[in-house]
Amino acid sequence: MKLKKAAKLLLSCVLAGALFTGCGGGQQGDGGGDKPAQSGGEIKLGMITHLNATEKRMEEVLQMVQEETTVPVTKYAITYYDSYRNLQMGVKSGSVDEASLYKCVADYVIAITGQFEVAANDPVKGLADSFCFAVRKEDTALKDDLNKVIDEMKADGTLDKLIDEYINQIDSYVKAEGEVPPKVDIPMTEGAPTIKVGVTGDLPPLDCVAGDNRPTGFNTAILAEIAKRLGRNIELVSIDSGARAAALASKQIDVIFWAIVPIGEKIPADIDKPENIEMTKPYFKDDVVHIKLKK
Amino acid sequence: MELIYSIFIKNGGWLTILHGLKVTVEISALSLLFGTLLGSLLCFLRVSKFAPLRIFAQVYISIVRGSPVLMLLMLLFYGILARVGIPPVAVAVITFSLHTAAHVAELLRSALMALDKGQVEAARTLGFSKWQAFKLVTFPQILRIAKPVYQSTVINLIQWTSVVGYVTITDLTRVINNIASRTMQPIITITGGLLIYLAISWLVHGIFYLTERRREQ
Repeated sequence: MKLKKAAKLLLSCVLAGALFTGCGGGQQGDGGGDKPAQSGGEIKLGMITHLNATEKRMEEVLQMVQEETTVPVTKYAITYYDSYRNLQMGVKSGSVDEASLYKCVADYVIAITGQFEVAANDPVKGLADSFCFAVRKEDTALKDDLNKVIDEMKADGTLDKLIDEYINQIDSYVKAEGEVPPKVDIPMTEGAPTIKVGVTGDLPPLDCVAGDNRPTGFNTAILAEIAKRLGRNIELVSIDSGARAAALASKQIDVIFWAIVPIGEKIPADIDKPENIEMTKPYFKDDVVHIKLKK
Repeated sequence: MELIYSIFIKNGGWLTILHGLKVTVEISALSLLFGTLLGSLLCFLRVSKFAPLRIFAQVYISIVRGSPVLMLLMLLFYGILARVGIPPVAVAVITFSLHTAAHVAELLRSALMALDKGQVEAARTLGFSKWQAFKLVTFPQILRIAKPVYQSTVINLIQWTSVVGYVTITDLTRVINNIASRTMQPIITITGGLLIYLAISWLVHGIFYLTERRREQ
């Protein structure tokens, strides 16, 4: 009796699965894969959401980007995802055709999975975002310290060295070590005050968590350098990306990473900056590229 | 196969997963313990004859049971308990205990209501004290009636704890998410994580099944 029941259950699961994949395939057929792009239809594009910008605000910003740079961003139908791993599932399942990513992230994805490629005649050439730190508004001393160190690192070439090591050589370390960017040790100064930095692990190779649960990536390398130069301790606090703003505001952490989109005169750097935070100078700038599944 | 190895095992990855699992189990077990105790107390208040206590329990249950546990957790960690300086895991245990308590209180009350009042009255007429009547007549039956619902509360609790990544705790879900982001293989990784959760809930089911069998023998 029990066996019969189990068999029934299994069968219904298989049926449901078949139905599901069947529908998925059908949809893709209707969409015609990458065809509608040529026939003037909209390309379905997945983007990572900005922490504090509503979709309406993003629409305005994209409109401004288009006016400023003549990049035809508004021809895309955009879906927002809250992390890259969800975006990738969106691309794989066909709910979006392309994913909009930072170049270093795209390089990492392409190197590690071998399933993606940069979308042909990449239309967003010339778009770039910058990365900086965000601190609470009242922490002006911390902001000044960070700015000072960023300037120093720019001046003496440390920043370029780190970018070269962690960003430009993605291919080589993915091949050598399997996946993770080289690990860093953040120097500890006994008795020095501690800065707590929120890391999400959501944006390799900038911010990811190694197999042994240690945060790693380009951002941690920058932080190690900052800790050394400021003579302070830096504690990495692993946190879900959706809770970063709450954690910052309630002083559970002091610093988070922030991406800014300063283009020309029209688009200010702080499109999605909440009232109560301040941004430091950018320490890294990266192009935006679109990737899609390899055919 | 090699892919699965590199996702879940390589470079001490399995240790990290095990550690995440430990955190999940730890939070769930402690919350279950405190939640059950608190829930029994709440149920006692809820059915008490003294109106203020009854109303207090009623209000507590309606508020806590109706609020999303993630928001409760964030409110406690980033708001009310932010300045106290207790570790995040403790805040999580407090939140889930409070939340479980409301559910346990209601499931116990429903078991109480399912009970035939006449039995207690009969016991009382036969000369049992109030406590004896509870211990010998009411309690064993409540246990039996509440058990299946309690089991699903336990399993629900374990799944609710998957949101603790929002308060800087690295639990099983967070470990799985980190791995998915790093290896860029979200589908395989998340399937693996799901299987681990499934194994836990089957384990819970198995424990309940064993106690059931022992009672029947």
